[in-house]
Amino acid sequence: MKKIIAATTAAMLMGIGAATAGDANKIVVDGSTTVGPIAKAFAEYYMGKHPDVNITVSESGSGNGAKSLINAACDVATMSRPMKNSEKDAAKSAGVLPIEHIVAMDGIAMVVHESNPLQGLTIEQIRDVYTGKITNWKELGGPDRPIVAISRDTNSGTYETFETMVMKNAKIAGKTEYVGSNGAIRQRVLSTEGAIGYVGLAFREGVKALKVNGIEATPETVVAKTYPIARPLYMYTNGRPKQDTPLYDFITLSDSPEGKKIIEDTGFVPVK
Amino acid sequence: MNLKTRKILDRAFAGSGVFSILLMTAALVVILVPMLIRGWGAIYFTATVEHRHLMLERFDRGNPERVADELNSTRETRAPLYRMITEFEKQLETSDSESRKRYTTPLRELKKAIHDLLGPAPGAIRPMLMRDQYGQMRWGRALVKLRNVLYREEWDYSDPTRGGIKALKPRAAEFTGTPVEPLCAYLENNLTDMMLPRRTLYWQFLTDNSYDSHFFGGIWPEILGTFYLAVGAMLFAIPLGLIAAIYLTEYARETRLIGMLRTCISTLAGVPSIVFGLFGLAFFINTLKVSSSKSVLAGSLTLALMILPTLIRASEEAIRAVPHTYKEAALSLGAGRWHTVMSVILPAALPGILTGIVISMGRAAGETAPIIFTAAVSVGKPLALWQVFSQPTPALSWNIYNLATEHEAVDEIRHVQYGMVLVLVSLVLILNLAAIILRARVSKRLKG
Repeated sequence: MKKIIAATTAAMLMGIGAATAGDANKIVVDGSTTVGPIAKAFAEYYMGKHPDVNITVSESGSGNGAKSLINAACDVATMSRPMKNSEKDAAKSAGVLPIEHIVAMDGIAMVVHESNPLQGLTIEQIRDVYTGKITNWKELGGPDRPIVAISRDTNSGTYETFETMVMKNAKIAGKTEYVGSNGAIRQRVLSTEGAIGYVGLAFREGVKALKVNGIEATPETVVAKTYPIARPLYMYTNGRPKQDTPLYDFITLSDSPEGKKIIEDTGFVPVK
Repeated sequence: MNLKTRKILDRAFAGSGVFSILLMTAALVVILVPMLIRGWGAIYFTATVEHRHLMLERFDRGNPERVADELNSTRETRAPLYRMITEFEKQLETSDSESRKRYTTPLRELKKAIHDLLGPAPGAIRPMLMRDQYGQMRWGRALVKLRNVLYREEWDYSDPTRGGIKALKPRAAEFTGTPVEPLCAYLENNLTDMMLPRRTLYWQFLTDNSYDSHFFGGIWPEILGTFYLAVGAMLFAIPLGLIAAIYLTEYARETRLIGMLRTCISTLAGVPSIVFGLFGLAFFINTLKVSSSKSVLAGSLTLALMILPTLIRASEEAIRAVPHTYKEAALSLGAGRWHTVMSVILPAALPGILTGIVISMGRAAGETAPIIFTAAVSVGKPLALWQVFSQPTPALSWNIYNLATEHEAVDEIRHVQYGMVLVLVSLVLILNLAAIILRARVSKRLKG
């Protein structure tokens, strides 16, 4: 028994020593579920070229990403909205200097069940749906079916973008359903005939994306800047990453042709 | 109450007992059987040539010559498809702009559908994402994709008062009179030769790394992560729990304070696990900074806190169940308190304590909420032992949740999710089974 305890303690001490030595080769990415597919694909690509680096990605929402960066608990915070002033202040007082990197452009697609005959909505109509003014698809020229409005949780960057660009700070109705990720909205809409939700462009598979103000939600319309609900996607780091570090390579991947191809293939729009 | 009513009551009680047990068994079967069958599908399935291609390229598995032969033969069977398309594209180049316009979208969709089924066309630039580099690995998925090639889903919205009605439009009809027209029929008739499906046991699903965020490969990082987290939690919880239990039963006087402490421990056992998770984030990571980011260490500590109350209660009960005469005999022989506890009471209480330990370990392995903020990530590598102190890890419980809700291509990779469920459930079942066997063996030895 004593031997086992001694051995474990020794192993732990050795482990702590080794761990502090090997920290340069880990990149912890936390934040937006929208940026998740890009971050995961970047991680896969980068680790394929540098097998000694371990990049971990979690998708817990933009708000969490920001908090995580402020607490210095992650190296890269992926966010689908810019950092708020309050967050920047909190970062400053914690001794963290958030540096913004724009990775890609994305549109927020309004998605409904495929059986929904509606082709498009205007921003005003969407706002009325989410404020609870319109409660039945009949009022929008669809079938007689109650609208199930689904929103992201308040931790989400997509939620905040939606709130500023579509809701214009009108209050979202109390009976709206809140779910925790883009994928969850997609699946909820996929299985509910009366549902409407909003997701990043990469999450449209199997659901019907409505035209907004007559414009289809596609990478092309986002590039052309005609789609009304478009936004950049960000990665934030603490300070400017030093050149020739894995972190620098990871962050600047979105500027390289390979990175741009990855962004395109995951369904987003690379930044020119 | 006369004898008759008592008898009836008695029978009714026995009957409802049997009924509820049967109901429970049925529920268990209903839950477990599909889980086992679907999970098994992740390991034993009908694999296409694409699977063998991937295995050879990425894992260096399989007979290279045989796979090359297979690839050649499938390439030959697939060639006419691509020939039809190129021929049509050439024809379009010279044709008038109207027919070009008419066929651009259908042709692009058709090519995309074929790409989803068979992978990149020969001679095409290799796509960046691995999920685009291969065709369908699993015959079941291939058949779904085949349907997407043969038919286009179209929704009929002609009656706005009702929802749309789904209709399947054969794609071949869109290309009548073009070189592509026979493509669909050819594909349907020759798909087996193009994919060469074969029953395959992919046991390496358990030991392979995951590729391209769980699209390919296995679930080794998750299994290892779960193992680290559970074992780590036990390393912290067992000594603490045992010492606390011994103190509470053998050393502490029954004062008010101790009574309160006991109530606290019992209450702690009922605290929702997500609360432990948030506490772990706030305390271990943000305040104590046991690691700079989420890590296995922080997760283990949080899990240890969560199972500690259960462990203390179980050990306490086990120690209390040791007959008083044992203790009295030891003390009367002149043994000290410490000696009595270590050599008489603990061994006698061991079966109960072990059961508590193993069951807590099962719980630690299966919990999701405590590790969301402290240890778990969606993708990451399997960790070496020394990395557990500073790095986060994927873990079965969390990744099942992640794949079920957040992943961008849930439907493509259901089998991975099912496989993870199978492994997690088996792990917990095996642990519980081990608890039962261990208990039986230890108590037999003690009696003997």
